[in-house]
Amino acid sequence: MDAPRDDHRLAENRNGNSCDEAEGRLSKWPRPHPAPISAAEIAEEFSHHDPAVARVNNGSFGCCPASVLAAQLRWQRLFLRHPDEFYFSSLQPSLTRSRSLVLELINAAHLDEVSLVDNATTAAAIIFQHVAWSFIEGAFNAGDAVVMLHYANGAVKRSIHAYVARARGHVVEVPLPFPLSSPDEVVAEFHRTLGLCRARGRRVRLAVIDHITSMPCVVIPVKELTRICREEGVDQVFVDGAHSIGNVEVDVQDIGADFYTSDLHKWLFCPPSVAFLHTRGSSAATPRLHHPVVSHEYGNGLQLESGWIGNRDYTPQLVVPAVVEFVERFEGGLEGIRRKNHEKVVEMGKMLAESWGTLLGCPPEMSCSMIMVGLPGCLGVSSEIDAMKLRALLRDEFKIEVPVHYQSPPKDGEAAGATDKSGAMVTSYARISYQVYNVEDDYWRLRDAVHKLVRDGFNCIQSRYC
Amino acid sequence: MDRHHSDDSTDNGGDANGQRAKRPRPAPRPISATEIAEEFAHHDSSVARINNGSFGSCPATVLAAQRSWQMQFLRQPDEFYIHRLQPGLFHSRAVVKEIINAADVDEVSLVDNATTAAAIVLQHASWAFAEGAFRKGDAVVMLHYAYGAVKKSIHAYVARAGGHVIEVPLPFPVSSNEEIVREFRKALELGKANGRRVRLAVIDHVTSMPSVVIPVKELTRICREEGVDQVFVDAAHAIGSVEVDVQDIGADFYTSNLHKWFFCPPSVAFLYTKKCSAASCLHHPVVSHEYGNGLPLESGWIGTRDYSSQLVVPSVMEFIGRFEGGIEGIRKQNHDKVVEMGKMLAEAWGTFLGSPPEMCCSMIMVGLPGCLRVSSEKDAMKLRSFLRDKFKVEVPIYYQPPKDGEVLEKDGNNCVTGYVRISHQVYNVVGDYHRLRDAIHNLVGDGYNCDMLSSK
Repeated sequence: MDAPRDDHRLAENRNGNSCDEAEGRLSKWPRPHPAPISAAEIAEEFSHHDPAVARVNNGSFGCCPASVLAAQLRWQRLFLRHPDEFYFSSLQPSLTRSRSLVLELINAAHLDEVSLVDNATTAAAIIFQHVAWSFIEGAFNAGDAVVMLHYANGAVKRSIHAYVARARGHVVEVPLPFPLSSPDEVVAEFHRTLGLCRARGRRVRLAVIDHITSMPCVVIPVKELTRICREEGVDQVFVDGAHSIGNVEVDVQDIGADFYTSDLHKWLFCPPSVAFLHTRGSSAATPRLHHPVVSHEYGNGLQLESGWIGNRDYTPQLVVPAVVEFVERFEGGLEGIRRKNHEKVVEMGKMLAESWGTLLGCPPEMSCSMIMVGLPGCLGVSSEIDAMKLRALLRDEFKIEVPVHYQSPPKDGEAAGATDKSGAMVTSYARISYQVYNVEDDYWRLRDAVHKLVRDGFNCIQSRYC
Repeated sequence: MDRHHSDDSTDNGGDANGQRAKRPRPAPRPISATEIAEEFAHHDSSVARINNGSFGSCPATVLAAQRSWQMQFLRQPDEFYIHRLQPGLFHSRAVVKEIINAADVDEVSLVDNATTAAAIVLQHASWAFAEGAFRKGDAVVMLHYAYGAVKKSIHAYVARAGGHVIEVPLPFPVSSNEEIVREFRKALELGKANGRRVRLAVIDHVTSMPSVVIPVKELTRICREEGVDQVFVDAAHAIGSVEVDVQDIGADFYTSNLHKWFFCPPSVAFLYTKKCSAASCLHHPVVSHEYGNGLPLESGWIGTRDYSSQLVVPSVMEFIGRFEGGIEGIRKQNHDKVVEMGKMLAEAWGTFLGSPPEMCCSMIMVGLPGCLRVSSEKDAMKLRSFLRDKFKVEVPIYYQPPKDGEVLEKDGNNCVTGYVRISHQVYNVVGDYHRLRDAIHNLVGDGYNCDMLSSK
């Protein structure tokens, strides 16, 4: 495939880094296609989606356009045709090419800093296994702390437990309020938690900070939190940006974390599954990160270790060039897509909140291509199981796919919780996503479904569903 | 039941243990040569592909089944995740349980490949050292011909955690199981010296390079006699290539790739963990929502990814059912043919086989004429590339270094230092091996040797 052409417009947004083939830098993002992709073409690219479903949940599993799937199929066929030839001649150069494009996208300083792994869950395991070894080998002392956000992804929390707590690290959670009215609330809680650790004489070895929390979904001010970590003497910062790439701007040098991961199959149109793990060059830990599946490249650096973890299908990692071609068909490229997704999801979120008499879970500037919208309190969601079952009901009866978050009511002494227009406590939120394939009708269907449930007097306490 | 059919019992009841139908009733007439060729029409037809052992193969019907699973996910991923994925994985595990004769479907986990399975078992050993269940200096024993990636994994997890690693030297060429058993016993003695315990023995069922079938049942028995805590059989090549009966073999852990000799697409392997061993402590290194719920469930969700290669095992059984004798028939035919071809080559080149036929499976090592002067692993790689580029023959080459004072086997005048590892799978034809034979003759006739190959 041809290298992407220079894009002067996007060059303005970067630091003016020059093209340097030896460093693996390719041209910047390609000049957009003369005529932007049309609505009909977009629909065609996603015609494999179930047309009956209002798919308002790009955040969970992402999406992949037909042209990228076709590129993946070509790679798969190439491997199957003559796998040895593929292994010896094509695989590593093609992985390098994908990594080079990612380097450009995230403004990494050096290609060696960029590794491709299956998903953010794997990236987390890599980081935490490294932390576990540090405890076991005495680099860290038993009781040293690892800090994470209360709304960290459930799988990541388990991983911290499996590796850090098991190795006798102390795990600290930063409580986060929700709903939120400003990033300052997040910063304040984070500051307070680090202060508590300091006061108790606990050395904080690692801070795990989501760039965009999953449930409930808000954009965290990671650059500021990373800065605070440096001030407070936190050894290392790991940003779990599972949702970030293609959703918010990602500039790893600007954010300044030691480790940064994001899934490419959520918001960057790759097939399942592929993620990058960025490891800052100057990090003392960089030489010692290992992929947990040890193979021939062990010891040669994570970026090479990850490039061969035994025989498997690496094709999701190879289609990044095809994704670049797809993205360039949109006005403004990836930034254009992000901007439009954000505007639309805020618009749809406000429409729903207004229609239901509820509220948004955070101000628009703390949202991205996803936003939390309060559901009417009369639905009576009073547990996570209720939320799951309401979600199943929406899927089965209305063919609407949207995740539902249960927000427990505030405890005594805490600030009063949010209420809807009728005065009922809002205990659940829908997390709506907007991606290029979405249309407004998807959100009207959600709006109307919830109205119907309210009209029918649906209540989780009484319903057989809940 | 139709009395014209074979006496394969078909127990169609499904119970909680995952008992399902045994091998599907064979199709009325076996698959034809033309149909086989069609199933593998996506292979590069210009290549004599005699290396099924490295990357395996997958027939078109199984690829189509995989694509169907992939499209189901893409169509409505949430629904797929909630309703289809786990039952699909369970079905695959139930099929595997039957073919390996595991006692319980809970003993069967699906992972990416044997490399991943090794990481799981070895990480467990690592924690045991770190947490004091094993003492520093306790030993882990492995074969000298253990797969390179597994050796690195043992180093990364066991040696790093303070375990002592012992390699069992193995002779090659090898002429009997007794040679292997002897060396193994010696290594265990070493492991137990100075009051040490041998905590884990890692034994290949079929070594990769050089490839021989190891008497794993006997070695496992010896391990039990000698007080080895646990036995892990790395059988990456085994399933579809030799008989696998995990209860009979008796190891604690047993892994094999389904994409090598069992017609699955890349990639999928099973890891069997005997229930009564410390198996409940095994964890998948990629920790997700199912952590703590047992390895089979942990492995069934390690974050969003494409699980389709793990879902096609039932489709593979249908494919295998089209062959006379099913998987046993395929194994036997592959073995007979690879021995026949191996002997043909050895005869034609004036060399010999690397092991007796009974110590090989669907792969066999054949000595290359010594005049080719393969004198390093690099030479072996370059000769392999040369065969690929110039003759379009794909075959891995093994370099057997001479030990000090050791007299190598000769083919008349020259030491045999290089061996090809030929495979036979259902898509192979005799012409593939004739091409290899003639390519080597060609090189020998031209007075070619590895010294002439330019460094790439």
